[in-house]
Amino acid sequence: MDPTRLRRCLEPGLSILVGTADAAGTPSCCRGIAIQSLDEFETVTVFLPVATSHETIHNVATTKQLAVVATHPRDNFATQFKGITIDARLAREDESIFVRQRLDAHANMLERIGVPRRLTHRVAHWPAFALTMRVEQVFDQTPGPKAGSRIR
Amino acid sequence: MSVRLSDIRRCFQGVIPSMIATADGRGVPNIIYVSQVYHVDDRHVALSCQFFTKTRRNLDENPVACAEVMDPVTLQAYRLRLKFLRSERSGPLFDTMSLRIEAIASHTGMAGVFRLIAADVFEVSCAEAVSGFLTEAPANTPDGASLDGMRTEMRGLQWVSERINRAAGLESLLCGVLEALEEYFNFSHTAILLHDEANRRLTTIASRGYGESGVGAEVGMGEGLIGTVARERRLLRLTSLEADLRYGRAIRREAEDGRRAIQAEIPLPGLPDAQSVLVIPLTIGDRLVGVIAAEDRDPMRFSEWHEAYLDVLANQIALGIDRMIERCDENADAAVHEAHAHPSSISALVAGPGDDRRVRRLTYYRSDDAIFVDDEYLIRNIPARILWKVLAESTRTGRTEFSNRELRVDTSLGLPPVKDNLESRLILLRQRLQEKCPDLQIVSTGRGRFALRSCAAVEMTER
Repeated sequence: MDPTRLRRCLEPGLSILVGTADAAGTPSCCRGIAIQSLDEFETVTVFLPVATSHETIHNVATTKQLAVVATHPRDNFATQFKGITIDARLAREDESIFVRQRLDAHANMLERIGVPRRLTHRVAHWPAFALTMRVEQVFDQTPGPKAGSRIR
Repeated sequence: MSVRLSDIRRCFQGVIPSMIATADGRGVPNIIYVSQVYHVDDRHVALSCQFFTKTRRNLDENPVACAEVMDPVTLQAYRLRLKFLRSERSGPLFDTMSLRIEAIASHTGMAGVFRLIAADVFEVSCAEAVSGFLTEAPANTPDGASLDGMRTEMRGLQWVSERINRAAGLESLLCGVLEALEEYFNFSHTAILLHDEANRRLTTIASRGYGESGVGAEVGMGEGLIGTVARERRLLRLTSLEADLRYGRAIRREAEDGRRAIQAEIPLPGLPDAQSVLVIPLTIGDRLVGVIAAEDRDPMRFSEWHEAYLDVLANQIALGIDRMIERCDENADAAVHEAHAHPSSISALVAGPGDDRRVRRLTYYRSDDAIFVDDEYLIRNIPARILWKVLAESTRTGRTEFSNRELRVDTSLGLPPVKDNLESRLILLRQRLQEKCPDLQIVSTGRGRFALRSCAAVEMTER
């Protein structure tokens, strides 16, 4: 597993998607604002706006299952992490700067591909939930013939 | 808050990629971006199935999904609760979704590698705005045609019809159509390409809004956006070209890693930073007459209303072009006997002693079937042979007036026996001369007749 490849998933400017399912297996999705890993991807923490992630929080509370995709909007380079949620909490005040910086970076990235920054900044981002998952599987999700192939 | 799918049509234009979440039989979720969510009707959407095999497997085990789409103008997100119904691998829906993907694939040199496997059709059990997604309510930005817009476009239709009916020749018809598209639809970057059945290529015959006219530029059937529309004879509207191209290039990069043979990417004709494209086939029955292409830097420039409306307009334009070509043919016969009677009315092409006119060097490269003027490419194929013939004849006899008819009977030119598009080839030749060698002109002197005018001496070389 190329560590450089994984580290790209922590760069600023990414689009973050989060997938869950309820106890009956009905899937749900929402957009994340930021992603973080402090232990070489043994665990990953994803930050979700409280305003839009009620269903996601409800699902992980019952099933623990979590899927997170980090994508570079400019080149569609994408990686999917799957695992078990080990912590779900409100993001701390000291994490708000990190979350805000990531939203700014994402707005910059989207502006380069034609989405005005003023629009991106209207997206709710705080307060946020922080969901930490133990990473069990990693998949290459970049569009192409290798999309969906497991890389860890 | 529930919404009708038809009220959020902008979300389905692909400007901002959508996402879809599924779960397998054990409830393990999977989430991916999807390149196209297609609005089928108020209760159904279709998703393009290209590479996402895990999503497909999940749907087989657990046929429910959740998609999120986003309005590119307001950035409001909407969640759709979906029930998987079926995969379509042929039929009108598949063809429509496939055209867009094939065009992008061809444009990025990925034809055959990057293609639609199936159109996955879902029933939408619920569609609702994601509450709290935006910190302030989105402004009301109406979509589609306003009454004023429709009135303007009805006037546009009337105006185009009049232009087609009144056009004195094919050239004025083409110019009139492009003018009308700009005046009534604000399409400022447009081109018309005509189909040459003999070599199965399309040649740019008229354009508007570009620094370089591009007249003479050719596209093969199935090549790029225009060639794909021509081959499929179906209209194509891309509203997020840059996003689609990024997606295509990502696939190309991944495929190249796998050492597959990839064709060279075809440069996008016209605007280098076009964000939206509308390409309309001009057909009469199954016969392809040509293609109209419009592009714009605004990703939301072309709406569904334009698509439906211009499809109707295209039929009229196709009929007008075809009728004009037929009319030129009929009148050519009447002109045949007159052509030889006209003596030379211009100065000789060949420079004589004391002649201080500028000398233009024209070289015909037989192996390439192309003419260069002062070492710059001018034209090739049949228009090149026509120019060479009339230059040679004029040099030899001093004759300057010619008829379409005499070109048609000259088998060395290689004109097809039927539907020879002679008039459009002469327009092409005339415009290329205007751009590259304005000292030499092909001037229409009546239907089916033209004259060679020159204010320079011509030096002809054949290699």
